[in-house]
Amino acid sequence: MSGAALELVCPAGTPAALRAAVDAGADSVYLGFRDETNARNFPGLNFSRDELAEGIAYAGRNGCQVLVAINTYPRAGDPGPWHRAVDDAAGLGAWAVILADIGLLDYASSRHPALRRHLSVQASAANPETIRFYHDEFGVKRVVLPRVLTVQEIARINSAVPVETEVFAFGGLCVMVEGRCLLSSYATGESPNMNGVCSPAEHVRYEDRNGRLISHLFNFAINVFAEGEPAGYPTLCKGRFQALNRASYLFEEPASLDVIRMLPALTEAGVTALKIEGRQRGKAYVAQVVTAFRKTVDAVARGKEPAAADLAPLTEGGRQTTGAYEKTWR
Amino acid sequence: MLRAGRQAPTLSPLLLVGLALRPAPRSALQAAASFAMAAMLRRHSNVFERLEGLASPVFLIDPIDLPISLLLEAGLPAPRLTALRDGDAVPAPPAAAIRGPLRALIELLEGRTDGDALFFSRTLTVEGDMAAVVALRNAVDGADIDLAEDLLRPLGPLGGPARRLAAAAGALYRRADQDLEILRAALLAPVQRRCDTQDVRLDDLDETLSNAPKRRRGQQV
Repeated sequence: MSGAALELVCPAGTPAALRAAVDAGADSVYLGFRDETNARNFPGLNFSRDELAEGIAYAGRNGCQVLVAINTYPRAGDPGPWHRAVDDAAGLGAWAVILADIGLLDYASSRHPALRRHLSVQASAANPETIRFYHDEFGVKRVVLPRVLTVQEIARINSAVPVETEVFAFGGLCVMVEGRCLLSSYATGESPNMNGVCSPAEHVRYEDRNGRLISHLFNFAINVFAEGEPAGYPTLCKGRFQALNRASYLFEEPASLDVIRMLPALTEAGVTALKIEGRQRGKAYVAQVVTAFRKTVDAVARGKEPAAADLAPLTEGGRQTTGAYEKTWR
Repeated sequence: MLRAGRQAPTLSPLLLVGLALRPAPRSALQAAASFAMAAMLRRHSNVFERLEGLASPVFLIDPIDLPISLLLEAGLPAPRLTALRDGDAVPAPPAAAIRGPLRALIELLEGRTDGDALFFSRTLTVEGDMAAVVALRNAVDGADIDLAEDLLRPLGPLGGPARRLAAAAGALYRRADQDLEILRAALLAPVQRRCDTQDVRLDDLDETLSNAPKRRRGQQV
């Protein structure tokens, strides 16, 4: 099989990461402003308006597009920062905005009808009826699908909706209630959906106890890693808890998504774009992952089988999974 | 003896360099640290600007294979880098400590490796204010630092010979690293063989236990 190559949508948390993604062959780069309007509102991360302008220019010179994620939900009574983010993304020449809130989608479609609108994974649109609603009401051109679907389910959605779909291909995994997860909010009072932070760094504490690494989130001890055991992110969903006298991962194990060998199946399922997760990761991660996926996406488009790429050293907990795409559980 | 919070370093050329550094006068170490700080401030002031929102931008940078650590007081307008030897009084309480092999710390500084990956593999350990650590990591990763170039540029006309010297030292380091890896494998070989034997015995015991008939509680033996 050969055909159009999947679009490679790559993360950038800093201008240096944007340049790394573009240089490694990204088709498009997604990023956010340095505030709570995006779901990676981490200290020292993200773009000022000037940096976005420079980033768009750099990407444009290399045939690459820039998407701006404005994918948190505006504070009640204070939509100003979110509206300004949409206005500035449009004014600076972003190719598209990635939105989740219907009020913000309405604002963008009425104020900037020429600006492409993508539906964020934070909106949790996982069935044709929901996706058609966002298309019909707000002119959404692309939907980022939640990581809850098998490849067969994605194919069925693609055959029933009038929009492009984008799926996660590599990187960190959320528990499968994206946009609706309250674990971080429960533990720290701050959530990815409202504040753009999951398990905010100021609430994280690490303790070394005789070689064992203990991670804490606020007042919760959430994991104990034995000496030499690969570690994971300090999020409650990846916590290892004691239940029925046995310590185990109750929600999900620390592992990274990697579907590089499934690219032919995803192409066959009608997917338009692949998303690499990791705006919070360094430019070395971005360069390495984008290079591997660029090579594989091009090979698959020429009808070749995907070759294995050694991305294991970059993965959480040192492990990879194909997640829900190959669902082996009920 | 290991300093508190430090993991044991592996055998590397840097460990040997560190042992050789022990008798170096403190003033020489501090002069080197101040020179590096001046170069960093001149070439990458944006790193310090990105940290301006932190309440206390003070970090203990602790290369586990050297007998010194560095206290980075990153607050503008006059950031400072202080070289500390074991037992030295720390001039300002650090908000966070970052520990790891010097090579990993330099690769992280230059953005040649990913900080999360170093954390996942337990190469890097962090403690204290994680917001400060994340901010520093992101500021540094965004800065396009090239340590050799940043340090050699102020030398002006001496920069050319210094670059050649640095390249030769780099080649020597890589060769020494390979040789020490062979030495390390040779030294550990007897221990490794014993561990492998124990592994096999444990596997055998596991298999024996799993094949043994299950007895009900209270059943007579």
